[in-house]
Amino acid sequence: MEKTQKSKKRLKTAKELTQIITDFYLEGHRAKAEGKPVGWMPPMNGAIEIFYAMDLEPAFPENWSPVCAAFGLTPGDFSVAEGMGFSQDLCGYLRNITGFIYGVFGKDTVPLGGLPEPDILLSPGAGCIPAMKIFHIIERRFPNAKVFYADLPQVAVEDIKKHHLDYAKQEIHRLIDFLTSITKRKMDYDRLAEVVRLSDEACALWDEICSYRRFIPTPISAAEIGIMFVMVTRQGTQIAVDFLTKVRDEVRERAEGKIGIIENEKLRLFWDNIPLWYNMGLFNYFEKMGGVVVAETYSAAWSIRLDVKNPLDALAMKSLMSYPLVSCVSIKKRKEMVLKACREYSIDGAILHRNKSCVPITLGQMDIKRELEEKLGIPSVIIDADHMDERNFSVAQFQTRVDAFMEMLHEKKGIT
Amino acid sequence: MPFGFSLFLWRKYRGIYMMDTKNISARLDSIAHAREKYEQNLSRPGAIPKKIIGYFCTYTPRELIHAAGFLPVRVPGGHVRAERADSLVPSFICPYMRAATERALRGDFRAISGIVTSYTCDVACGVTNVWGENIAGEIFKNIPLPYNDSSDSRTFLRSELLDTAEKLNGLGGAFSLESLASSLDLYDRIRELILNLYTLLFEMRLPFSADTLASILGASEIVEPEEFLALTHDFIDEVKGAPPDAYEGIPVIVSGSLVEEPRAFIIIEQSGGRIVGDDLCTGFRPHVPARGKGKDPMDALIDRLLRRFPCPSRSRAVGRLPFLFDLIGHTNARGVIFLFQKFCTPHLADYPIIVEELKKHDIPSMLFEIEETGFAEGQLRTRCEGFFEMLGGS
Repeated sequence: MEKTQKSKKRLKTAKELTQIITDFYLEGHRAKAEGKPVGWMPPMNGAIEIFYAMDLEPAFPENWSPVCAAFGLTPGDFSVAEGMGFSQDLCGYLRNITGFIYGVFGKDTVPLGGLPEPDILLSPGAGCIPAMKIFHIIERRFPNAKVFYADLPQVAVEDIKKHHLDYAKQEIHRLIDFLTSITKRKMDYDRLAEVVRLSDEACALWDEICSYRRFIPTPISAAEIGIMFVMVTRQGTQIAVDFLTKVRDEVRERAEGKIGIIENEKLRLFWDNIPLWYNMGLFNYFEKMGGVVVAETYSAAWSIRLDVKNPLDALAMKSLMSYPLVSCVSIKKRKEMVLKACREYSIDGAILHRNKSCVPITLGQMDIKRELEEKLGIPSVIIDADHMDERNFSVAQFQTRVDAFMEMLHEKKGIT
Repeated sequence: MPFGFSLFLWRKYRGIYMMDTKNISARLDSIAHAREKYEQNLSRPGAIPKKIIGYFCTYTPRELIHAAGFLPVRVPGGHVRAERADSLVPSFICPYMRAATERALRGDFRAISGIVTSYTCDVACGVTNVWGENIAGEIFKNIPLPYNDSSDSRTFLRSELLDTAEKLNGLGGAFSLESLASSLDLYDRIRELILNLYTLLFEMRLPFSADTLASILGASEIVEPEEFLALTHDFIDEVKGAPPDAYEGIPVIVSGSLVEEPRAFIIIEQSGGRIVGDDLCTGFRPHVPARGKGKDPMDALIDRLLRRFPCPSRSRAVGRLPFLFDLIGHTNARGVIFLFQKFCTPHLADYPIIVEELKKHDIPSMLFEIEETGFAEGQLRTRCEGFFEMLGGS
């Protein structure tokens, strides 16, 4: 096994993703050239719908990191950031983006042209600390960009109350006012309603696609998680709906035809935490032992249905829920979610990625591990790695742990 | 006990300067003993005749907890090798949180009824929730503080704090705006005392060194505020009347997160430095400003929280710089020593920016990380000696 490798994808539609990714970045550069304001923002909040509704161009530095990992830019970016004094103990997204904007940003050699230069920065006051600090660094690098200092209550999903929602809504109004004042574009609320409807439709499709994971053999695996790109970057657009409809149709067809990811599916696995973006091929590693990674936690952030009749409420609620749902802000809820998925998808074993680059998702994992064992009798294995920095990943250690784990699962299930 | 030796060390290394300060020495003894007693009692349910609520971050509105009739206590970490904690938390979080979790699992905090802490960093939030799943207690709550200061954010925070107060009342508390006014007054007075001591530190007029001041601050985080105020009654006058510590060293500021171990300060000073101020979670930062303003006690509490000397979890590096430069200018410090908890993302992320700006002003700095095993004393000493030599010390 290589330290860095791409995953083997089985869905035909997943292969179309390359074009969607290329189009997204080309569109960003075209927008910039045409004078359309480009705004950089963190993922997992309602700002993307606001941007699309106001015909502004969103870009996602955090999401650019997996693309950097896929193109092999990360080591160079890390080198720049670490040379500036950013510690190797910091999140890989933070070091990658920092190195990118202070390194190869704007150079012709950057794949897909990289990120278009920002006119607007939506600097978060919420999400994880690295997400906030990334934007503090970006603000310094692009001093001419107009900065919206966002704020959002960081609260467990089960504890959300009216005052949290009220404040989140006030922040959305403030964002709209800010964008209006600096771009002179007014919000068309009918258009916003349509964008929110499309966003919800994408969520519904996402849920439907995920629901086919209950089929044995599973028609879709975590190796296809790249389709999540449209949920991060295209939520609220017809592009996302059209693409996910195709994915749904193909997955449904495979489910009905009992076409699995591999020929002889013996073990169904669950992955907790962010994948190793530089080694998505890891998801295929289990296949030689009859294992398929059926589901993962990270995708849950995109399963939040929106109240299309109340677009602003819906976006406020989405903003409040998305990050806590997959992080240590809502350990209880996350645990419930994992257990529910493992039950519904008939999971045999779980792989818990103890991710040095993501403390908020790693915290709470041991509770998930215990409950999987105690409540569902599902064993799990911990893999020490890092979603961005391959230096924190040992292939040999991974293989040793996973091979022993898979052997144990084989024995437990009586597979010869 | 993790802190019991502080006073001993202080006497050992700095006793020479304390010849005329017997009263102060006795006071410091009392304060240290009170702190030790309270810390020991955290493992003895019922020893403190009040419900104890722990917190991790100094942004926690402890006045609110106190106003409900409970004792707010910053959960101590200390020098503990985490073993049991590995069953709950990863190795790559700060040593403080790992030590606190280890001690909770060992039963050191059996008398603590739960955690109410402000959300400032991912680790504090996550560990609070992990404790909620694994450690006995009645309440485990993160308070989401707004990052912006506006009328909307203040209204939101008011609702959030009232909601927290309601939860505390649900545990048998008796929060009211009147009780909050009394609690605010107590803590405001403590902060004022501490800021007065800092003024003397800045002017090098304290009769003792920064490690001793740190021990006093540590006591203020755990001892009943009424008792702490009684222990320090007229203390400031005695301190002002005593001859200043004449120790000569290169004046430096210490900046970072939690430094629970005053020994680090002693090593810095033994290596040729003199600590004349700090920008620490466990030091100067949480006490500024001493009081908030508002039409009622809740508004005053909110006002203080939102106008606090900024920490990197809640502000930009550039937002912190004016405060840091002000401290440096005010104290004539010639350098900055950064003391970070290992893996502390907020501080590590700000560090290169702060250093870049310090360099522009020809202010040298060095960084030392506090690991789980505590201070590598020899390493810190060697680094400090080199640093002070570079600064022109002997």
